[in-house]
Amino acid sequence: MKNFRDIELLSSYLDGQLSPSDSARLESRISSDLELASALDDLRAAQSILRKLPARKAPRNFTLTRKMVGLKPPLPRSYSIFRFSTAFATFLLMLTFAANSILPRISFGAAKPMAEAYGMGGGGGGCDQPCLPAMAAATEAPVATEAPVATEAPALSPMAAIAPTSTEASVANQDSTRMAETPTPDGQTPKAAETESALQNQPQSQNEAPIPPIWQSSLSIIILLSALIMFLLRRSAISKWK
Amino acid sequence: MDETALVNSAQHGDLDSFNTLILHYQDSIFHTALRIIGDEDLAQDATQEAFISAFRNISSFRGGSFKAWLMRMVTNACYDEFRRQKRRPTTPLEPDTADGEEIDSPRWLADKNMTPAEKAEADELEHAIQHCLDALPTDFRTAVVLADIQGMDYSEVATASRVPLGTIKSRLARARLRLRECLRGFEELLPSSFRLEGERNS
Repeated sequence: MKNFRDIELLSSYLDGQLSPSDSARLESRISSDLELASALDDLRAAQSILRKLPARKAPRNFTLTRKMVGLKPPLPRSYSIFRFSTAFATFLLMLTFAANSILPRISFGAAKPMAEAYGMGGGGGGCDQPCLPAMAAATEAPVATEAPVATEAPALSPMAAIAPTSTEASVANQDSTRMAETPTPDGQTPKAAETESALQNQPQSQNEAPIPPIWQSSLSIIILLSALIMFLLRRSAISKWK
Repeated sequence: MDETALVNSAQHGDLDSFNTLILHYQDSIFHTALRIIGDEDLAQDATQEAFISAFRNISSFRGGSFKAWLMRMVTNACYDEFRRQKRRPTTPLEPDTADGEEIDSPRWLADKNMTPAEKAEADELEHAIQHCLDALPTDFRTAVVLADIQGMDYSEVATASRVPLGTIKSRLARARLRLRECLRGFEELLPSSFRLEGERNS
């Protein structure tokens, strides 16, 4: 067996890949070296056998369809405009829902401590020891005013149920708390007066949602119209393409 | 067939032009896949995958031999098929005789122009060659299939295999040497000229 360098040379020679000078040099070696000639015959035989292999025809056609390669019909430019408007309007609609449900809660959470602070500090102006019971009643007042709201809430819409917790409602509660410190002319107890005034103020604040429903309706209409136009454009493009 | 024009059209997304190219090359691409993989069904899958991949990546074709470029696609598809086989090995579903033995040459594959004896002989020779091809490492097999069965020159084989020319020379020499050794075991099946050569050499 010849070394691999010779085998590689013989293989290249068989394929006509050697330069004329290299071929001439190898041919002279082959004529004088029987082992080299035998190796060349082996390589040639292997190559010939492979070339004798019957060519197999494709058993079926491999032509491609548009679906196979994922080709899509060319859509008009307006399609992308409507697609953008649909996406943007949907985003805005989600934002309005989020704003209407989250914002009132945030303002409620911020208003309650303020109301408590106002009730304690505002009434304590010139009082000494005898004022303490009145102050204690004043600090409890916001809790008392919240109670009726809780009982009314189930009868109202979800939006309205959230509304009483707005800043205005808390401010109203604070006002009523301050009023509780001064005695009323008709002899009503301070707590009863607070509750009444709070109930009068609540319906106004309940009607105010951060984003009015008309905006949500308009956005919904825009989304539906854009989606419909997109569908029609796509359908006509596909029918033209076919 | 104006190959350059068809390739240009296909590069602009014309599927009909590409299908014309497929019809022209599908036999040689399938034959290559069959010799590299050694299984007809898997070779069909690899051929289809190669053409799909070729259409999707035709923009990367920058001229030169389109056949060599297609061969690169089918070679990659065959390698992918090997990788899939390694992950999920399967048992071939060969037709059985009444005794439960496998039939090597099912009736529906028979060529009606040959006598049964000729057919059996040709099948045996083909099986012997395929057996020896299958025994080669994949890279060697690819090189020898492209060069000796498809008749591609070294530069085309290098393009299709994405390896340097020197590597192709080396792989071809080794592959031919191993094939010759393997085929010695099937001397009785080889045509008489090869048998005589073998006798003379020994």
